[in-house]
Amino acid sequence: VKDNRVIGRSANRVIGAALVALMCLSASAFAQKSKPTAKPEPARAIVLRGGKLMTISHGTIENGTLVMENGKITAVGAAASVKVPKNARVIDVTGMTVYPGLIDSETHLGLTEISLDTTTNDLEETSDAIMPHMHVYDAFHAESDLIPVTRMNGVTNAIVAPATRDTLPGQDAFVQLAGKSSDEMLLVRDIAMPLNFTGAQRRNESFQTAKFPQTRMGMAAQLRQAFIDAQDYAQKLADYEKKAADWEKEKKGDKPSPPKRDLKLEALLPYLEGKRPVVLAAEEPSDLKVALGLAAEFKLKVILNHVSHSQILLDEIAATRLPVIVGPIYETPKDDERYDSVFKLPAELVRRGVKIAFASYDEHNVRNLPYQAGYAVAYGLSREEAMKAMTLNPAEIWGVADQLGSLDVGKTANVVVADGDPMEVRTDVKRVFIAGHEVPMESRQTRLRDQYSK
Amino acid sequence: MRHPRALFLLGLLLLAAGTLAAQQPAAHPVTKNEVLIKNGTILTITHGTIPNGSIYIKDGKIAAVGQTVEAPPTAKVIDATGKFVMPGIIDSHSHLALDNDVNEATSPIVPHMRMEDAFHYTDKAVYRALAGGVTTSLLLHGSANMIGGQALVMKHKYGLDREQMLFPGAPPSIKFASGENPKRVYGSRQQMPSTRMGNFAVQRQALEDARDYMQQWSAYEAKAKAGDKDAKAPKRDLKLEALADILRGKFLVQIHCYRADEFLTEMAMAREFGYKVRAFHHALEVYKVADKVAAEGVGMATFADWWGFKHEAYDAIPWNAVMSMRKGVRVAIKSDSDDFARRLNQEAAKAVRYGGATEDEALRMITLNAAWVVGVDDRVGSLDVGKDADLAIWNHHPLSNYALVDQVLIDGEVFFDRSLPGYGMPHYKEGQ
Repeated sequence: VKDNRVIGRSANRVIGAALVALMCLSASAFAQKSKPTAKPEPARAIVLRGGKLMTISHGTIENGTLVMENGKITAVGAAASVKVPKNARVIDVTGMTVYPGLIDSETHLGLTEISLDTTTNDLEETSDAIMPHMHVYDAFHAESDLIPVTRMNGVTNAIVAPATRDTLPGQDAFVQLAGKSSDEMLLVRDIAMPLNFTGAQRRNESFQTAKFPQTRMGMAAQLRQAFIDAQDYAQKLADYEKKAADWEKEKKGDKPSPPKRDLKLEALLPYLEGKRPVVLAAEEPSDLKVALGLAAEFKLKVILNHVSHSQILLDEIAATRLPVIVGPIYETPKDDERYDSVFKLPAELVRRGVKIAFASYDEHNVRNLPYQAGYAVAYGLSREEAMKAMTLNPAEIWGVADQLGSLDVGKTANVVVADGDPMEVRTDVKRVFIAGHEVPMESRQTRLRDQYSK
Repeated sequence: MRHPRALFLLGLLLLAAGTLAAQQPAAHPVTKNEVLIKNGTILTITHGTIPNGSIYIKDGKIAAVGQTVEAPPTAKVIDATGKFVMPGIIDSHSHLALDNDVNEATSPIVPHMRMEDAFHYTDKAVYRALAGGVTTSLLLHGSANMIGGQALVMKHKYGLDREQMLFPGAPPSIKFASGENPKRVYGSRQQMPSTRMGNFAVQRQALEDARDYMQQWSAYEAKAKAGDKDAKAPKRDLKLEALADILRGKFLVQIHCYRADEFLTEMAMAREFGYKVRAFHHALEVYKVADKVAAEGVGMATFADWWGFKHEAYDAIPWNAVMSMRKGVRVAIKSDSDDFARRLNQEAAKAVRYGGATEDEALRMITLNAAWVVGVDDRVGSLDVGKDADLAIWNHHPLSNYALVDQVLIDGEVFFDRSLPGYGMPHYKEGQ
């Protein structure tokens, strides 16, 4: 026993030393990797001259010129009318299409590297279905190899959401896909909270291994209880504040003590107060009705998500005037639906006046976002609306339209240059600018390509 | 109540099985109707694009293709003005219509499993792929096993009987798998294999057992032939029989394989045991050893741009298909997914985008090359005289993201027509 203990201790020491060595290694790897991916340009202006500018907000300008300075767009217009600043770096983009960086309204970027390798996954905390105090910003990995792969195809901004196994899995972040560090890339830390009500959240339907909630009833009851608990918590806080204020006036008796801080309940308060939106995910009509009922009960501010099989409710959805993140349109139809029932959804929603945004709901292939929009065009959506649903619409839905979503003076210079229609697979993206910096067209994948092309 | 109902269902199942067994494979309905498709842009795959071209179909076969063709006035005319006609898409890696019966994951060697016994031919996924222009699919066993089951080749004649959906005369394929999946499945149960070493040891032992089995039979046959009346036939073993058929070259060997080193090991083992590998499936690292794969005459059926879903997919790059093609590998792009099967044309377009394939080269990856992987390239995969009239008519160029399938013909008959109400299927009625 004694010997074992000694061996155990020295083994621990060896492991400890190895761990320190490992940490040093990874620290230096980190230092290497976290070099600015977008080279800081000096104050010199960048001018894109002669391209077809898809402004999104005010039509398309054939033979247009766009100027970027200090990370912002400072001029957009017909080539003849835009004044080129002195000493500017002028890039001829004749024959090219220029459009604002695309915004993906639901991804898991920065939360996973290799799907099947759990050590690389920070997708969600599945110990409980109610986890509103999980914050994506605590896990977002700025150096993920997935990010350069994504932005090279013109996606410059994304919502990062936890995965969807929990009813309330945590809070989304809104990110920019280039920057020196996660601090620079996390543009809005807690932008919204997913409220998942699709059935995928049922805690194992098998009777042997089931955990609460096992049914839709259970999910609804658990959610309602969570919001009621949060309301009670808010009341306790308010009571305490009133007592504390009263005590301050006379300072008589014991100073009232605040209620114990409960991070889980605290995280729900901004949503109960309507300060931030919940992203309400539902696919089936019955799920959508129950979830919307709950949202109304607690006066939540709602962005709808998916609605993939709710074709019979499209008029009702339109009547709510809520925006919808639609899709993925690749969701397989039910057996009693026609093959194109989900492909047509974006067009059907827009026809009813709904503001839509596209999302890849992906991590490794977020880059394919524009092709989903293109396929929605094949099924009846106009090209203008399809482009808007990846740019200005999401910018408005997420409350960042003063900075993003169109080629307008004063906005952040997230600008993409491609050799054709952004929604066609065959189109090649040539240049990507994020916050006015040209992003190198390099990724783990281009490095492998080049290594094996020699 | 549960009990009697279950018995009733079981009875029904037995009845159905009886009916199936008794049924002779019916010849597919011979199309007396002749069809003339005219004024379309014809993407032949083998001999270029014919603007304003026509195709004449007789008895389910392509009888003529060209700028002008001769057809009797009685032929049914399909006006393809402004449209594109291409061969039906061949999906060389699919698990449609197999439900949860796709993976007999109870032993790493199960070559006696037959996908035909799992074929759920009324699965609507078959229809949804048809509406995306797919006319033939190779339905493969799952990848939990080093040597999995025997594949089925299906024509997407949705609405017809089970037997009528089988591709008549298609050669049999068998599925192998390597890498992470087998070792994860069995390793998690504390069984062999739990490493790549274990994977290949299990595979090699199975092939040795097959050799032994073949020797037992040839020894017996020699004795019997020599008139030895005491010669006793070895016990017939379906598993060993199927393994022996691999060594006899009766199967096209389709290997699920990701990593460069494993392509080399699989090819070496094939040489050692004297069988041919038809194609590597997934094949995400072929670009690293493409010259070696090409030299062996092995094809590949790959994803266009999927990556990162597991370690052995982390070095996947979207240039893989074209880089490998340029080194001489016959490349197919496949779905391995009910979803992607509906839009393989867009996946093929990625070969244009990543590496600069020509339009013909890209389309070949989902038609003729895929047909070669399946072993039916003499029958389908291009618009050539004598081939089955399996084709799709598109409203735009099929490599465009805006392209939709208007009509699909299989053996000269319309099986999908977008303009029809309901499901768009002339051969299928709801409740059928």
